[in-house]
Amino acid sequence: MRPLRLLITIAIVISLSFGFEAQAQDSSVSSEYLIKAGFIYNFANLVQWPSNTFAQPNSPIVIGILGEDPFGTILDRVLEGKKVNGRVFLVKRLKSALDLKECHIVFVSSSEMAHLAEAIHLVKGMPILTIGEIPGFAKRGGIINLVLEDNKVHFEVNVEAAKEADLNISSRLLALARIVQEPAADGRKTE
Amino acid sequence: MLTIHQPKAGSASQTIRALLLIAQVLFFAAGASAQNLPDVTAMSVEDLMNVQVTSVSKRSQKLADAAAAIFVITQEDIRRSGATSIPEALRMVPGLQVARIDENKWAITSRGFNGRFANKLLVLIDGRSVYTPLFSGVYWNIQDVMLEDVDRIEVIRGPGATLWGANAVNGVINIITKPAQSTQSALAAAGGGTETLGSGSVRYGGRVNKSTYYRAYAKYFNVAESIDPSTGRSAYDNWDAVRGGFRTDWTPAGADSLTLQGDIHRSGYGETLNVPSLDAPYASTFPNKGSLSGGNLLGRWNHAFANSSTSLQMYYDQTNITEDSLFTDHEHIFDIDFQHTFHASGSQEVVWGLGYRSSHDANDSSFTVSLQPSQLTLNLFSAFAQDEISLLDKRLRITVGSKFEHNGFTGFEVEPNTRLLWTITRNQSVWTAVSRAVRTPALTEEGLRLNSATIPPGTPQNPTPFPTLLSVFGSRQFKSEDLLAYEAGYRMQVTSNFSADIAVFYNHYTHLRSAEPGTPFVETSPTPVHIVAPFVAENKMGGGTYGTELFADWRVLPKWRLLSSYSYLQMDIRKDLSSLDPSADNPGLVSPRHQFYVRSSIDLPKHFEHDLDVRYTDRLPGVNIPSYYSVDTRFGWRPRGGPEFSVGSQNLLNRRHLEFLPDFINTSPTEVKRTFYGSVTWRFE
Repeated sequence: MRPLRLLITIAIVISLSFGFEAQAQDSSVSSEYLIKAGFIYNFANLVQWPSNTFAQPNSPIVIGILGEDPFGTILDRVLEGKKVNGRVFLVKRLKSALDLKECHIVFVSSSEMAHLAEAIHLVKGMPILTIGEIPGFAKRGGIINLVLEDNKVHFEVNVEAAKEADLNISSRLLALARIVQEPAADGRKTE
Repeated sequence: MLTIHQPKAGSASQTIRALLLIAQVLFFAAGASAQNLPDVTAMSVEDLMNVQVTSVSKRSQKLADAAAAIFVITQEDIRRSGATSIPEALRMVPGLQVARIDENKWAITSRGFNGRFANKLLVLIDGRSVYTPLFSGVYWNIQDVMLEDVDRIEVIRGPGATLWGANAVNGVINIITKPAQSTQSALAAAGGGTETLGSGSVRYGGRVNKSTYYRAYAKYFNVAESIDPSTGRSAYDNWDAVRGGFRTDWTPAGADSLTLQGDIHRSGYGETLNVPSLDAPYASTFPNKGSLSGGNLLGRWNHAFANSSTSLQMYYDQTNITEDSLFTDHEHIFDIDFQHTFHASGSQEVVWGLGYRSSHDANDSSFTVSLQPSQLTLNLFSAFAQDEISLLDKRLRITVGSKFEHNGFTGFEVEPNTRLLWTITRNQSVWTAVSRAVRTPALTEEGLRLNSATIPPGTPQNPTPFPTLLSVFGSRQFKSEDLLAYEAGYRMQVTSNFSADIAVFYNHYTHLRSAEPGTPFVETSPTPVHIVAPFVAENKMGGGTYGTELFADWRVLPKWRLLSSYSYLQMDIRKDLSSLDPSADNPGLVSPRHQFYVRSSIDLPKHFEHDLDVRYTDRLPGVNIPSYYSVDTRFGWRPRGGPEFSVGSQNLLNRRHLEFLPDFINTSPTEVKRTFYGSVTWRFE
């Protein structure tokens, strides 16, 4: 008797709730990564790479995702068909840190927290825009760190690291950023 | 949900375009069609910074990485469950048994051995162990947090002794609150209903400068007494509590972060108590009161080096427990813990740590309960090391490690484990683990005397002219309980909308606690002269338990999510041949063989939401409790910019049922009844 009543209750609730919504759809992703994808597009637009970085005027901007990909298909879909200065985007999932060198932008996923120093060390001095979402990422030598604060996405910029990478970040972007610096001595001595 | 600041510049049409896009993002967040992904590339950085996002669930991240049966309760899960306490929030975890004894007492365990004084589960709040050395368990009516500030609750079923030490035998519960920078708004909540008559909480978060954030909170609730089913009158099990606390997070330049947090609490509760006496009628039942108070202060310093990180944590915790007519206890715990994580090579990550804990206990006894010595300081030293080796392009991870502890009762204990995680594809992984855990003796198991009943003189059980006291004694000879656990699991993300998780285990226990009858003796004090029939704690039980836990998370439609779980537990725990323990074999008879749980969460139009929880708990033959269904339902309304409203009912279908019975201390259990509640939460930006 009890299970029956239960089933009826569930059935009523479900049928009431779904009179209005019948299409089956995919995607259960959070809007966090949709917004972060928007940031990445904007960064590509507001950062200038050294003139010799791209082989041809229409060479794509290669974005590498290092570590577990939190975007799913969002980043690919957001950037599909989009161009910045005549360049399309190419999104790659990096298998090893060595593939970093082919990228113009590297998104360091939070799964790489433990291997951060290694990754930052590898791209040091190369014109690669590193974007992270790890506490202290920019302070530890990353260029841009996306920070969630009160459920809004903010970002930190390490201007020194950008200079070392020979990247020119537009003042419009810097005006909105929280500027961070690396600590003077410790924490930087790799190996 | 969304706050749009005044646009700094730009024409009206730009503003409108931005607003439309933001609306689209929100629509997307609420589950709009995937084909029409809003064009975030058309939004400016300013616009993007002003969108409130729903954070991705940490569940999937954690799940993919752990070679253990782990389940994560998110903040959203807590909010939508309507839970007002930690035990209520834990009801959704597969494989946990959460049972209420009366309005202020709970029995909670993982993988068997339940009881008010259940002793095989370790619970931590922000890294602070809330496990009492008194009985190696948790006083659930002391533990509380501001639920709105909880980031997540991680529940690990199975042993976690290598990392967390002795007593993380059958499970570990980690309650983790948000950092202060994530609670920067003001919040006020008020609620009331037929069970919790009134509750209120406030929290304020702010920042001192760019690197220092803080929050402070206070909360109060008052739970009504319920009816004693055996008498039909009040069981006097009311409960009220007030609590406050703070947390500051400071990230000075560089790779340091410092956290300082603390809480103070005070509560009062009631119960109907039955205690033995030496004069006719040899027992008395009366309304009794208890009070609980305490506080804690915790500091943590994390430092990141280039290729490693360290963490240093210290805390002090004080708890005062007074259960009138029974017992008074003051516990002071000081704990310091150091951890260092580094990369030994590209494929090896090593964690090691050192810990020290001092616990001081001072107590006052009664005729019913006494503890010797009345003052005791215990020192616990611990060290652990664990190496995680990644092979085959990180698809195979092997973890080996061990904890080494020295405690005042049993000396050295070693708790090793080895774990293996194989990521078969991006969406599938299997894991397996073998671990040893011990449960070290509690103060009560060493020095307790509990007079549990009097057999009147001149009765068939006691033909002597003297009353006979049945008394439970601790023993200096009591040893640690041992567990050797074999576990395996499989996880899959079938589609982006459906994931499932299966864990199986076989636990082999030795030296479990038994109560062995001793030689009766005559006692002249207190008067009258009486016989004592002692039952002494020994380690003469053992055996195996096995079971499985299944969990599935299915987003049927973008606005409809179904969570379901099933767990099966079989216990075969027996007395050793030399044991004379008169109680029956199988403490498993107080753990349900089958449990299932389904939650439906639906986002309705116009910011309404609906949640339905259905739980089934199999019968508990050992305490004579039949199986039951329990249905909770909740309606919420979160109008944009306004307060959030919530109304609901717990145990909607049956009028009332018992969930568990007390053990050791004979208080009247009360039934879980149908209740209704409403609450409102304001968030001020």
